[in-house]
Amino acid sequence: CGFTPAYGPSGGAGVLQSQVRLTDPVGRDGYLLNRRLEERLGRGGPSARYAMKVTPIVTQSGMGSTSRGLTTRFQLLGKAKFLMTDPVTADVLAEGEVQSFTGYSATGTTVATLAAERDARQRLMTILADMVVDRLLVAASGLPS
Amino acid sequence: QGTNVGFGASEHDTSQPVEVSADSLKVNQDDGTAIYSGNVVIVQGQMRLAAAEVIVIFNKDRSAIDMLKASGGVTLVSGPDAAEAQNADYAVETGNVVMTGNVLLTQGTNAATAERMDLNLETGQANLSGRVTTILQPAKN
Amino acid sequence: QTENQAALLVADRVLVESDNRLIAEGKVEAFQDGVRLTASRIVYDRDADSLTIEGPIRLSDSNGNLLIADSADLDIELRNGLLRGARLVLDEQLQLASVQARRVEGRYTQMSKVAITSCQVCGEDTPLWQIRARNVVHDEEAKQIYIDEAQLRILDVPVFYLPHLRLPDPTLTRARGFLIPEILSSTLLGTGVRMPYFVPLGDHADITFAPYLSPVTRTIEARYRHAFRTGTVSFDTAISRDTVQRDTTRAYLFGEGAFDLRNDFKLTFDIEAVNDRSYLSDYNYSDKDRLDSELRIERVRPDEYITGALIHYESLRANESNATLPTIVGNVEYERRFLPAIGGELRYDVTAHSHFRYSETDVDGRDVTRLNAGVTYLNRWTLPAGIRAGFTGSVWADHVNTVQDSTADAMITQLTPQAAVEVRWPWVRNDGQGGGMLLEPVAQIGWTGGTRPNIANDESTRVELDEANLLSLSRFPAPDRRERGWVGAAGIRWMRYAPAGWSAGLTLGRIWRDTADAEFSRSSGLMGETSDWLLAMHFTGANGLDLVARGLLDNAGRFAKAEIRGVWDYKRLGLEASYVLQSADPAVARNRALSEWTMDATYQLAENWTGSTLWRYDIVDNRLDRAGVGLDYSNECIDVGFSVSRRFASSINIEPTTNYGLTVALKGFSTGGSAKEYRRTCR
Repeated sequence: CGFTPAYGPSGGAGVLQSQVRLTDPVGRDGYLLNRRLEERLGRGGPSARYAMKVTPIVTQSGMGSTSRGLTTRFQLLGKAKFLMTDPVTADVLAEGEVQSFTGYSATGTTVATLAAERDARQRLMTILADMVVDRLLVAASGLPS
Repeated sequence: QGTNVGFGASEHDTSQPVEVSADSLKVNQDDGTAIYSGNVVIVQGQMRLAAAEVIVIFNKDRSAIDMLKASGGVTLVSGPDAAEAQNADYAVETGNVVMTGNVLLTQGTNAATAERMDLNLETGQANLSGRVTTILQPAKN
Repeated sequence: QTENQAALLVADRVLVESDNRLIAEGKVEAFQDGVRLTASRIVYDRDADSLTIEGPIRLSDSNGNLLIADSADLDIELRNGLLRGARLVLDEQLQLASVQARRVEGRYTQMSKVAITSCQVCGEDTPLWQIRARNVVHDEEAKQIYIDEAQLRILDVPVFYLPHLRLPDPTLTRARGFLIPEILSSTLLGTGVRMPYFVPLGDHADITFAPYLSPVTRTIEARYRHAFRTGTVSFDTAISRDTVQRDTTRAYLFGEGAFDLRNDFKLTFDIEAVNDRSYLSDYNYSDKDRLDSELRIERVRPDEYITGALIHYESLRANESNATLPTIVGNVEYERRFLPAIGGELRYDVTAHSHFRYSETDVDGRDVTRLNAGVTYLNRWTLPAGIRAGFTGSVWADHVNTVQDSTADAMITQLTPQAAVEVRWPWVRNDGQGGGMLLEPVAQIGWTGGTRPNIANDESTRVELDEANLLSLSRFPAPDRRERGWVGAAGIRWMRYAPAGWSAGLTLGRIWRDTADAEFSRSSGLMGETSDWLLAMHFTGANGLDLVARGLLDNAGRFAKAEIRGVWDYKRLGLEASYVLQSADPAVARNRALSEWTMDATYQLAENWTGSTLWRYDIVDNRLDRAGVGLDYSNECIDVGFSVSRRFASSINIEPTTNYGLTVALKGFSTGGSAKEYRRTCR
């Protein structure tokens, strides 16, 4: 049925290993997203086979309003555009956009809400990074090696 | 008529004698035309016409010049004004000059370029045509 | 006076009639120092240095203004003269038509008996709006339009008269003057008018005053913005005296700024202060119920993250007292990453945190300071058959100091070792052009040593489970709590992506632990020895539908928590809806379940009409929380927006209020928005 282990002989994902060089991160979101991508794919050195730029955009929306007007729930909506190019010819090898959200409650103390928000933001970056990796694994066998 | 003349010196008289000087002259006996070539200069009153080659065509009884056909780069000067072109045909009788090919007309500070100019030396009227470009220099008041 | 430049004239035929007259005919064009004129015939009188021009005349200059006329007498520099049957078109949108226009010094255009509009005028029908004026002067350099005896007409019916009126021409940005007035009406503040007035302060700063007057309130709002070389600041404030709170002055100040410091550090600050708890909600300035003022310095590099912040909180919630809430918080985080030669990643983390409560009473007035340092090593390998194995090992040193809490140890220091092995086995099918399918079983076994110290849980009381921390060594958001003992997790991830067709993803997972952790409450989904099932999905359809959902399914098959977000842009409909469900959980101060959906839709009713609506409905209380409807008419020359919205929530600080809004913006002036997008054509 066409399935094969991504990191197996014909899966193609092996070409990505430590061969993806990320552009420098901007802000905490970018740092956390790049950190997770390097955790999964290793870090590409100066002569890496692929260059990739991933740009996260996060907005927040309030939910869960009580009859007394309190907002008890927040959601962080995250989008990440990824663009993988050949560092020499700048040809576009893979590109796209992934999106997801994470939520946190605001019914606790101020420091509980602060910790919950910062953790929700970190989790959002992890989810977006994993979704980018999924797209790369699926496209890997089509990448030039 | 009293209108001051557009092009050239005022009151140009086309009946004045025409002097022609050139490096060489060749006369064609059977049709009675004369071909001047090499630094040809034609002077009539205040008008002066220079060209590389001028063919002079006389009227039937060869009593007067009917037409001067200048070519190879022509310069026509009259009073303060001047005109250049590839070719110029001067019908002496009527005073009409037809200049064609990269015509450049300069009148005092104003200049104009055109494909063709129909000039009447007596009235001074000049008709330029074919995407005419004129530079109007404002008078320094 | 600049020295006069020669004018260039191009035409099909030029008749040099006399020394003094030159006549140009046939597609005549004249160019003069950035000004271009086209006409059918031009007569040049050399003595008078004037041009008599026969139309149709089009005179356009370098900054996009266009003057159309039937005939004209201009000087040779096209700077002075009279145009008959003139129409001045500014920036391709605003038209000033008049019987006669006089051009002065190439800068001013004086027009008499003028009609000004930016509406498309087809044939003889009257424009939607126009300003009739006795005379008008357009100053090209100052980009201003001065109008005398202005009469605003809607569909040719005079509705407004002003002896003198000055309006900025469309190309003028940062012009001092009135912006679009707004008519605001709410059941609390009555019907009032808000008249913003913009004042530029040099090139880098500006201030906008907005008096807002209604039978109930006299308010002055102001926004100050300043751009520096290395950063920007912006402050919003308002001061009011109203009959809602008699003889007190109510005011708020919100400010924010960001600056670039030396070697890549960035400083940001944000100030939020108000002098009365219900002011922000009464005037709809903000629906925040907790104000946080923060000063933060941060630096991000590929291998290093540094941040330090000082935060002050002020709660506006009726049921909270600021004395027993941590209102002063300090946070420092430092992380450094290395890639050692043996492979993998070595990570050093140091965090310091402190929060302070004003109250001195035992437990309620607790102040906590903690210092946490950790070293982590992580690596991943590819095993035969494409299995991806990962190892994470770390040691954390925690030092926590608690004051004014007899139930907790005053000071603890603890070392916590952690280790985890993760296994992923991704299978893929490549369908070409980057599309295909992924199936990835994942599993992790982790161990954390040490027993939980007797310290208060101030920061980790709200725990979430999602795809990100299904495989994780600790799901608590802050280091004041860590998961202990053996914890196992397993899941399956599926994803399909088709560049042309639909794309979707699914994640299913569960967590097992050797001993249940009492800190996890029911709605966290992590209670007991086996967690709830984590179910997460996303779907992107080709027809503009985008759905993301996540839920925690308990053993009885009921959702303890569910969140769904959907966006559907399809032809003329733009719909955004979200649903959130959270079961009742007193441990997290949620005595009643939360089940609420919100819907936000816009629909293009007709070519220029857009309807919009917003609803938020609480299913558990069977209560409409807020509702709003809006109607907007927009064409190439006018933008009319009407909206009504109501918030039903009420408490001692919040009044249920209905807000009505009406804005009318005449397009074509630089304040009214550009009229270029909506170009109608005459049929």
